[in-house]
Amino acid sequence: MTAYCKNAAFLARQEKAHQRLREKYASGALAEGRKLEFDSIGEAVLWVRDGKDLMLVVKMLRADPALAMNYLSSLTAYDNQDKADGPKRFVVVYQLFSTTLHTRVRLKLAVDDGESAPTMVKEWIGANWLEREVWDLFGIRFEGHPNLRRIMMDERFTGHPLRKEYPIKQREPFTSNIPFHLGANPLPTEK
Amino acid sequence: MDNTKPLADFYNPNVLVNLGPSHPAMHGTLRVMCRINGEVIEDASCELGYLHRGIEKLGETKTYHQWMVYTDRLNYCSALINNIAYAMTVENVMGIKITDRCMWVRMIMMELSRIIDHLVCLAANILDTGALTCFWLLFRWREEAYTMIESACGMRLTTTYARIGGMSYDIPEDFIPRLFKFCEEFPKTIDEVDQLLTANRIWIDRTRGVGVLTAEQALNFGVTGPTLRASGVDIDLRRDRPYYAYDQVDFDVAIANGGDTYDRYLVRMEEMRQSVRILKQCIEKIPGGSIWVSDNRVRIPEKIDVYTKMEVLIHHFKIFMEGIDVPPGESYTCVEGANGELGFYLVSRGGPKAWRLHVKSPSLMQFQAYEQMIKGDKIPDAIATLGSVNIIAGELDR
Repeated sequence: MTAYCKNAAFLARQEKAHQRLREKYASGALAEGRKLEFDSIGEAVLWVRDGKDLMLVVKMLRADPALAMNYLSSLTAYDNQDKADGPKRFVVVYQLFSTTLHTRVRLKLAVDDGESAPTMVKEWIGANWLEREVWDLFGIRFEGHPNLRRIMMDERFTGHPLRKEYPIKQREPFTSNIPFHLGANPLPTEK
Repeated sequence: MDNTKPLADFYNPNVLVNLGPSHPAMHGTLRVMCRINGEVIEDASCELGYLHRGIEKLGETKTYHQWMVYTDRLNYCSALINNIAYAMTVENVMGIKITDRCMWVRMIMMELSRIIDHLVCLAANILDTGALTCFWLLFRWREEAYTMIESACGMRLTTTYARIGGMSYDIPEDFIPRLFKFCEEFPKTIDEVDQLLTANRIWIDRTRGVGVLTAEQALNFGVTGPTLRASGVDIDLRRDRPYYAYDQVDFDVAIANGGDTYDRYLVRMEEMRQSVRILKQCIEKIPGGSIWVSDNRVRIPEKIDVYTKMEVLIHHFKIFMEGIDVPPGESYTCVEGANGELGFYLVSRGGPKAWRLHVKSPSLMQFQAYEQMIKGDKIPDAIATLGSVNIIAGELDR
């Protein structure tokens, strides 16, 4: 295992954060169904039970002064078609970062095809486009999202290209532009 | 002729203006749709995906080395940072520790790239607001930096310089003297631009209080890099999570607290000075030795051996035809890119191709914040703001 960063001060902070995760988040009666793992560079990966548990963990991680995960770096998903990570079809991945301690935690939520994940927009506005991207490319819905439209592909596009069964050479060209719109807000003529 | 109708339109508070996707002020293929009242943008919506090439999907169907060329096409202003960050991600999953020389060469390349990226951003931003002189002054040094990079890897814009476990070539002998000259002379141009702009009434009027992003908003939107630091948040991954040898060099992190276009300009100017400072220390500290790891899983053999030894020829063939075998595992590796936190999230299930390769692009978060930043500003302010947050369509759409 190679550490991403050899800096001693950083490694001590990271170890302390991992200790906290082990004790407070991955053990006890509340933590049933959760699983704490470490990836190739020794960073923490916490599997949460379900959508409700995810929101609880995120709120706890934000409020906990020993972890202070107050920043959402990235939100993505991957296809679990080969079932290597449990029986469910997709895994939604949240990369959290602490702007004060500079440590990271990766949260993972397994969702099945057709199942939805809770939206993170209430916690971080930045999750808005990231969730739209996951919906666009994987077809995972986010419950409570204010404007869940496609983002990378055209609105008229069918299918979700990052699913493993989507053929790489399947094209859907469109000759006209997307008409003028103002996102979730109505156009003046529609008012 | 009925003259009343255009007048009625002029006073209509709901004029719709479409900027882009194909317009020189929109820096690539960005599209912003605005509803304006008089001159003030009251509502805006961004549309992206015009440059979407499915790079992440390609990552799942190409071998690790083949995908290296796609990283050049993410942020094409600082292709070297993308190359190196990606190589670093794969090395992390494989558990490879690169040699010291390779580490320092990579640092030099990343800092040089950062300077180029800031030069392009600043020059284009200044040009958009009408000051042509600074554009010529700054682009001269971009040219010089590209020529240096060309001497090292044979390519200028899309470099594909890094390899998993090393670099495609070691730097040439005259590179370090040339870099030294660059470090001596380039800051003079920064000072010159500084004198022309920093206290310039017109520049201040165009940029002060334009496109303001407060620290709280910036954190909420997930904005990173110079844009975040201009809002007064003190985060720099080079200092806070030092990778390679960044904890062995001295540099300061540039912070401003206004969060407007002017502050972003100041932060980028200072970051270029700091990059020069890091480069000078790299010149002093760069060790000798091999640029390649000795690990045979990834080591690309020397050409002369490929032509003369049978086993090496087979090995070379297998590396390029089959690809390298990365063990199952995953990592999210991020570096402080020129635009902000550039991360690669790699999930490997074994074999020569990635299972999932996600690019965390700083531009996406910035473009999302941009949508909110321009509300309440005027159209020319929107253009000035767009230049200052440096959104690169290649990285935004992937």
